[in-house]
Amino acid sequence: MPSRLVRPAIHGVLLLLAAAYLVPLLVVVLNSLRSTDDIMQTSMIGWPRTLVWSNFSETWSHYCIAEHCSGIRPYFVNSLEMTIPATIVSTLLGALNGYSLALWRFRGDTWVFGIITLGVFLPEQMKLVPWVIVLRDLGLFNTIAGLVLIHIVQGLSFTTLFCRNYYTSIPVDLLKAARIDGAGFFRIFWRIVLPLSPPILIVTVIWQFTGIWNEYLYGVTFAAGEQQPITAALIALSAHISEAPLYGEQSAAVLLAAAPTLLVYLFGGRYFLRGLTSGAVK
Amino acid sequence: MRRATVPLRQRFDRIVPHLVIWPPIIISCTYAIVFSAWTIWVSLTRSTLLPDYTWYGFRNYTSMLATRNWQIASANLAIYGTCFVALTMATGLLLAVLIDQRVRAENIFRAIFLYPMAVSFVVTGTIWGWLLNPSIGIQKLVHDLGWAGFRFDWVIDRDKAIYCVVIAGAWQASGFAMALFLAGLRSVEADLLKAAQIDGAGAWRLYCRVVFPSMGPIFIAVMVMLLQFAIKTYDLVVALTAGGPGLASTLPSIVVYDFMFQRGELGRGSAAAVMLLASLAVVLVPYAIYRSWRARRVAAHA
Amino acid sequence: MRKSRLGRRAVLGAAASGLILPRVARAQAVGKPKVTVISQWSAGSDGAAITALGKRFEAEGGIWEHNPVPGFTTDMMNKLRAQIIAGDPPAASQLKGPEIAAWSKIAPVVDLDATVKAAGYEAVVPAELVNLSKPYGHWIALPIQAYRINTLFVSKKAADRIGMTKLPTTWAAFNAAAEKMKAAGIIPVANGGLKWDDGMKWEIALCGISPDAYRKAIMQLDEAALKGPESLAAFRQLRKFAEWSDPGVAGQHYSTFIPRYMKGELGMLLMGGWAQGVFKHAGFQLTDYMVGPAPQDDGKIAFDLNSDEFIFWQKKQKDFQDGQALLAKIVMAKDFGPMYCQITGSIPVRTDTDMSEAGFSDGQREAARAMAEAKASNRIVLSLGHNMAQPNQITAAMLDVLTEFVHNNSISPEEGQKRLVEAIDNVR
Repeated sequence: MPSRLVRPAIHGVLLLLAAAYLVPLLVVVLNSLRSTDDIMQTSMIGWPRTLVWSNFSETWSHYCIAEHCSGIRPYFVNSLEMTIPATIVSTLLGALNGYSLALWRFRGDTWVFGIITLGVFLPEQMKLVPWVIVLRDLGLFNTIAGLVLIHIVQGLSFTTLFCRNYYTSIPVDLLKAARIDGAGFFRIFWRIVLPLSPPILIVTVIWQFTGIWNEYLYGVTFAAGEQQPITAALIALSAHISEAPLYGEQSAAVLLAAAPTLLVYLFGGRYFLRGLTSGAVK
Repeated sequence: MRRATVPLRQRFDRIVPHLVIWPPIIISCTYAIVFSAWTIWVSLTRSTLLPDYTWYGFRNYTSMLATRNWQIASANLAIYGTCFVALTMATGLLLAVLIDQRVRAENIFRAIFLYPMAVSFVVTGTIWGWLLNPSIGIQKLVHDLGWAGFRFDWVIDRDKAIYCVVIAGAWQASGFAMALFLAGLRSVEADLLKAAQIDGAGAWRLYCRVVFPSMGPIFIAVMVMLLQFAIKTYDLVVALTAGGPGLASTLPSIVVYDFMFQRGELGRGSAAAVMLLASLAVVLVPYAIYRSWRARRVAAHA
Repeated sequence: MRKSRLGRRAVLGAAASGLILPRVARAQAVGKPKVTVISQWSAGSDGAAITALGKRFEAEGGIWEHNPVPGFTTDMMNKLRAQIIAGDPPAASQLKGPEIAAWSKIAPVVDLDATVKAAGYEAVVPAELVNLSKPYGHWIALPIQAYRINTLFVSKKAADRIGMTKLPTTWAAFNAAAEKMKAAGIIPVANGGLKWDDGMKWEIALCGISPDAYRKAIMQLDEAALKGPESLAAFRQLRKFAEWSDPGVAGQHYSTFIPRYMKGELGMLLMGGWAQGVFKHAGFQLTDYMVGPAPQDDGKIAFDLNSDEFIFWQKKQKDFQDGQALLAKIVMAKDFGPMYCQITGSIPVRTDTDMSEAGFSDGQREAARAMAEAKASNRIVLSLGHNMAQPNQITAAMLDVLTEFVHNNSISPEEGQKRLVEAIDNVR
């Protein structure tokens, strides 16, 4: 293919794919600007008959969930309180674990890695009752701290997996040089490994933040009332048998709930930089 | 006697790494082993609403294997697992390679492909359910545009509904695969790339001969991540097809939830969960053995 | 590095205790009757109704702590299970049907016999609900509200197009009307395609054919009745429903198609009485549809019942016990029905409730009358699709068979009936 056509072709394909990816978001955005009446009287998918802006403020601060008519804002804050500590701690511990397993070999480390990987696959449903027992014994049942603990321990399996596989690609010469210079375990981690980690750390943060933020089963079972995370509030707007969801408000709530994760993605972008290893070996 | 003369600092330096490495690793391992063991134990008991530790033998397993739910679900998992992993990896890789070409507005493209993961699965499943529904979604849109013969009613077709789940799942997860691949692409040593380019390799050759091979561990990480995603897919299917039409698109995670919690049969649900994990081990363990055999062969020949 | 992690843990610990503290402080407000309640009613009119109940409880001097679990009933039951395992069951929680009996075996419950006797409650409540609330001879739960399942809603626009002026009263009339609709290009059946919906269609068919057969087959699992002609006729009717539905409803909630239903593209909806509230919230008026009982072949009223109850878990603290007594008193009172049901659109459980109050809709009045009549003539049956007739294991197994039948035209009614019997035998 002539080289001057390649770049436009690449952009073209990307634009096409981007458009396809955006369609569901478009549906949600449109629905958030329609009143529920409008949706119920025309169709689930469609253009607004009249633009309705009140869905956002309605869900954010006025919608009644149980006795509290303060919208989804308190649940939003709960989710932040739970997700941020869990993400930070599990990412850092995962980086440490990955570093230990990848660069400081010890006997049986492949076995250990295999067992940790097993932790990645355990389905949530299966772990619910054991977690109840564990939290009960630790006295953390029905607290945000308990939820944070659950997410840290579960997230540790993922973060270890990501970081360890990434760190195996760090050239061993770097480490050898550093050790000859007299650097110990932490020095190497702090000075060499961490600075090389931004791409994988941001990937890990994205994964953890998203996973914990959107997690519903544990958030609902291990928190009570107004301590519940925002996924509980979203479900309150969505799942009914005897009623129909309030589609307009629900769509607005979905967008509000997705905002933090989207912000994380946008800001994390700058860490996808090229060629971080290039300077170090020289 | 010599021990007393080792400076405190040095001893600190030797002990601290162990104190820091081992607790998180031990916690992770304990968590994985204990929870799995508990589930296996419960699957061998007659637990219903609450765990009940009386021995029940393998009857939970035999009864689960006899239900149509499990039979359909495990067949579906095989289809869904392979198609989903393949489609997502291919799409993710394609997106990563395209974005790696220093395109303009890279940030925006990346965010567009990643955002599906940010939205709750319940919602995306519902929306995809509407889009794929022939009466209100894409098929209706195309009919309204004039092409009356167009058919895209997979979601209500008992044999094809599971493929709709594949599409929605790939849409959701490919952004993340892209992110991991991008991280891998961008961490290939610049020297290697330059050397190959000097040798006159074209872009395609460059990718196939230099870049992809050095991304081996990332491919594995992505595959593992996608496999566990496939196994745990629950909210997406429930919102998209409700496991339907009938039972046609049910998956083992739905069966586990259904039996464990909806029907209050913890024992049988746990048996289903154990069978799910076992079926995964059947796929992964041979692969792991193959890889370590390969590694040993390479080391022996070096 | 370690220091900052410890610091974080300390902060988390402080935060955790900060969250627990207010609760401890409140519990020490000694003397006032208190309840902790778990339900799935977090939003919408259900949420508003239970909030109103809470306000009434507090107005009578109690402390009300409601912990709604958003989502489906299973999530609420998970929360209940978790609380029971953690050793802290709520004072009252929402439960229904035979699950009341099943759950009462795993944790101690309160004996309400004395309070119920004092209120003279048992006589005014349908016998089926009494049996569910007294699974082992003692009252352990109290019904809150009731719904009629076998209700027929016909879209006015669709009815006008075929010249229908009143609801069909037998299945033959229904089928004739459906044929007319089909000829006019309307899709006759407007139900959704979820499991419980499919189960509901079969049970409404069977209830319309013969409530006695319904009782024997579904509620008593009598094998002869399950293999009998009424059950087969119900399967045949279900096959007709399936063929008259839009194939696109598979996997969708019926509310997804309300827009088309109101426009007259879909004709007849067989749904519980709550659909009226759904229509109202969607902005539709009573003039947009006709509502009444579903067809009954023998012409007499039968009532397919769905009801939610509160089960009372044993608590050792005096303030919880007082709270439970107060809650029981409020729920059994004659004015509870009007307060609660005018908000949710359900029917009061007490058949002696005065339904002429302005807050009730005509649909509710008609359904309440039907319930009283059916109670008198012993023609109340319990819903299968809404987990009233059988414990969840059996219900789920039956619904699996029914939903597969509906979405697979190649299963004949005879085959469907055979599979249903097999499924029940496997679980029994």
